[in-house]
Amino acid sequence: MMRAKDRLIIVAAGCSLPAVFLLGLEFASRNGWVNPTFLPAPSAIFATFAQIILTGAFFAPLVHTLTLLFVGYSIGCIAAISLGVLMGYSRAIYNLFEPLTELIRPIPKPALLPALILFLGLGAPMEITIVALGSFFPVLINTVQGVRAVDPVMIDTARTFGHKSPAVWRRILLPASAPYVLAGMRISLGLALLLVVTSEMLSGNGGLGDAILSAQRSFLVKESYAWLIVLALVGLVLTAIFNWTEKRVAFWQAPQAQ
Amino acid sequence: MTQLVADNETQGLSGPKRSVSIGVRVRNSRASGVLLVVLILCAWELSARTGFVQSTNWPPFSTVMATLVVDVTDGELLPLILSTLWRLARGYGIGFAIGIPLGFAIALLRPVRLVVRPTIELLRPIPIPAIIPPLIFLLGLGDSLKLSSIAFATLFPVVLNTIAGVMAVEPIYDQVAKTFGVSRWTALRRVVFPAALPFVLAGLRTALGLAVVVTVVAEMIVGQDGVGYYLVSMQFAMRAADMYAAIVLLTLIAYLLNRAFILAEGRIIRWTRLREASGDAS
Repeated sequence: MMRAKDRLIIVAAGCSLPAVFLLGLEFASRNGWVNPTFLPAPSAIFATFAQIILTGAFFAPLVHTLTLLFVGYSIGCIAAISLGVLMGYSRAIYNLFEPLTELIRPIPKPALLPALILFLGLGAPMEITIVALGSFFPVLINTVQGVRAVDPVMIDTARTFGHKSPAVWRRILLPASAPYVLAGMRISLGLALLLVVTSEMLSGNGGLGDAILSAQRSFLVKESYAWLIVLALVGLVLTAIFNWTEKRVAFWQAPQAQ
Repeated sequence: MTQLVADNETQGLSGPKRSVSIGVRVRNSRASGVLLVVLILCAWELSARTGFVQSTNWPPFSTVMATLVVDVTDGELLPLILSTLWRLARGYGIGFAIGIPLGFAIALLRPVRLVVRPTIELLRPIPIPAIIPPLIFLLGLGDSLKLSSIAFATLFPVVLNTIAGVMAVEPIYDQVAKTFGVSRWTALRRVVFPAALPFVLAGLRTALGLAVVVTVVAEMIVGQDGVGYYLVSMQFAMRAADMYAAIVLLTLIAYLLNRAFILAEGRIIRWTRLREASGDAS
């Protein structure tokens, strides 16, 4: 009984801030305290949002964005984990690639977009490349650290008990470094989403980033806010899926600080 | 103090120094990696010079660096660099001036935590460039739009790390402070704040990297000046060497800012530890 009441208080408190904000905005917009042309009433924005959802207008841009994100993120993560494991495991490989990595890593990734546009044009290859590049480095750094953090005694023990290299990899190195790799993949996911939206904005070839910027350029104010809601939902759902997966893949690891 | 920071630097890269044989030293050196970088740059230079890659988009490396030097020294880029840095500093400053107090309030006051934290969790996954188009309607194309985006991006890592840092303060510190009859405000200032500082700084460092990225994005999408805008203009003008020079420049800015932050961070946290160790807190 008490716990149900506590939970109610928590939910009510959490909802109060968005509710007050939205109601205040609705009121201000209807009474003309703010210019409804530039800041439409939330109810009008939600009506447009519902229209985008119900007519299925959200579908093509959403699929476009998610496809680019998924392909680019997968390429970036797989490449980074592969190289990261090697660099973490072998000192020689680490020494070979470390200077190159440190040279490319500090590039603010959106700055590469104009160069990539020159080479790859405005289409999907350019967008996938930038997402993959952006995803690559956080995962690489974390994977190297993760593999290095594995207690050598564990590896030696496994060897002593006659485990061959593949088993050592599968049973010890990969599981023990998984929490680090996932922490890197979490950073990369946020960056990948940022980059896919930016590249779609610059290329204007479809996708949610293109939709939101086109709406702004055509002065479709309500649509522009409605697409922002769509993008926020995409971010929320992807984060939720990531958290859900992380809990199952690295369940032995205590939750990490941000 | 300087030496201690320097020691941390070397340890961060290759661990504590041990006396090793020459063979091991050669194997552990980064010579192979530096050689790889040189080879790649040579390949870039040669492929452009010999016409192996025939493209106006592919100027030799030396041309890019020469262009960078010329663009900076003849004063074409200098005002743009300053405008980008000034924009970044203001947006970042607003972000952390809001973020740190907000983080403390959320961590220390349960009512604030209950009311504000869910909203933060709700807003955090928004891809930051997406807020730019709607904000254009509210703020126009000027600097306030860019500053808001940069501040928005800075806010989340700072708030979340501040919360984590304050929550991670050993309760015993607070109890000791109470036992000695220290006022709530003094305890906050001299016990909780220094103890949470390493987390806060980690958040600020993450935020700095993100703020640079968002500054570039904002300048690229709705630019009127700044290096990000210059970069896109050079792409449109097909002046490839200037474009690459701008990329190198932005990379240098990002790298140097990060380095400077790490140096400052080392000093600040060192100071915190010294104070703690010498029992200076009241």
